[in-house]
Amino acid sequence: MTDTLDSHTDEERFRAVFSHLGAVAAYARRRGNRDADAVAAEVMTIAWRRLADVPLDDPRPWLYATARNLVLADARRSSFVTTTETGEPVGAIQAPEVLELDPVLGVALRSLSPLDREALLLVAWEDLTPTQAARSLGINPTAFRVRLLRARRRLRAKLAGAANDDRFDPNAHFEMEAS
Amino acid sequence: MSNRPIMSRLRRANPVPRPRDGDAADLFARITALPADPRLEGPRRRRPLRRRRAVVLAFATLLLAALLASTAVAVSHWIGGDVVEAPVTRHEYLDAQKQLTLPPGVEWPDPLEIGLSSEPDNSVTSRGAGGSMAVLISMNAWECYWAEALRTGEGAAARRAQAKLNALLTNNVLEAPAGAHENWTPTPLPTVPFAVFAHDGGLDFVRGTYDQAAAGDPRGVAQSCRANAPR
Repeated sequence: MTDTLDSHTDEERFRAVFSHLGAVAAYARRRGNRDADAVAAEVMTIAWRRLADVPLDDPRPWLYATARNLVLADARRSSFVTTTETGEPVGAIQAPEVLELDPVLGVALRSLSPLDREALLLVAWEDLTPTQAARSLGINPTAFRVRLLRARRRLRAKLAGAANDDRFDPNAHFEMEAS
Repeated sequence: MSNRPIMSRLRRANPVPRPRDGDAADLFARITALPADPRLEGPRRRRPLRRRRAVVLAFATLLLAALLASTAVAVSHWIGGDVVEAPVTRHEYLDAQKQLTLPPGVEWPDPLEIGLSSEPDNSVTSRGAGGSMAVLISMNAWECYWAEALRTGEGAAARRAQAKLNALLTNNVLEAPAGAHENWTPTPLPTVPFAVFAHDGGLDFVRGTYDQAAAGDPRGVAQSCRANAPR
C-alpha cells in the first residue's frame, strides 16, 4: 500500500518533468541529432532514475544539460565509425537543419566557438533566461552573461563582415563541445 | 547594429520553432514502470533509518574521497595531474585550521590520527583535500555542539552553531555541477578551504537537516554528529 502511494507521488513529480519531452527532442534536433526522439526518451529515463536530482521547479536546464551530454556522446561514437562504401561518414553529427537557416547566419554561427554558439542558442532557440542557460552549462550566471555578450558581439561582427568575405563555407558543420 | 536584432534574427532562424506535442503516454508508462530513484522521499517514506543512511552516506563519501583517493598513482590521471603528496595535504589541513573554527572545548584531530603524514609515503591526493578534511571536521564538530545545545536548551549556543554551519555552507562548501566527474574540483581553486559535495542531493539533505535543527528538532544533526565523527 505504502509503495503504491509512493509510486503515485513519484509519478506525479515526474509528470511535470516529462511535460518537457517535446522541448528536449527539439533541443536534440536543433543540435543536429538524427535520432532526437530517442535522445529525448533517454533523457527522460535518466530523469526518472535520478528524479531527486532534477530541480522540479525548473527542470529544463537540467534536461538540456543531460541532452547535451547524450548528443555529444553520440557524436563521439559517430566519429569513430568508419566510412561507408561511398566514402560518406556514417552517423557523423549533422548540422541542425542548416538548409533551413539563413545561409549567412548559418555560416556566421558556425564560425563561433562551440561554447559561444551554445550560449546564444540556449537563449535564442531554447528560450532560456541567462540564469537558466548558465545552470544548463554549469557556469555561474555572471560568467554566462559576459559570454553571451561577447558571443553576440562576435556574431554581429561576423555578420557585418560576411558580405565581403568569400571564405565563408556554407557547408561547414556545427560541432558541439563539452562545457 | 544592436544586440536585439541579432537575437531576433537568431530566433527567427530556429530550425524547430515549436516542439512537437505528440502522444507520449506509452513512453511515460514504460519509463515509470522502471524502478524509481531510491533517494526520493515520498510522504510515507520518511523513515529514520533512511535519514541516517543518507547522512552517513553523504559524509562518508566525502571523507572517503578526501582520505582514500590517495593510494593509487592512477589518481593523477583522473584529475589531470593536479595532485599533491602527503606533506602538502597535511600542510593544507593545518593551514585550514587558521581559517576555520571549532566549538569551545574541541580540538583539531592530530594530522596523523586522520592519516596525514609529514613524510612522503608514495601516495597522492587531489589538491585541496587537506582543507576539505578540515571543513568536514569543523562541520561535524558544530553539528555535535548544535545537537547538544538543543538537547540542553541553550539557545545562544544553538544560534551560534547554526550561524557557524550556515557560514560553512556558504563559504566553504561547493556542489559539483550536475553530471560532473566524481573528482570534480572548482577552477580556479578557491582561496579558502573547501569541500565539494557531489550533485546527488546529499547537500540538499544536509541543508534539510539544518533546517530541521533550526526548527528545534536535533535528531538529524545528532545522527550526523555520531555517524561522522572523525575519530
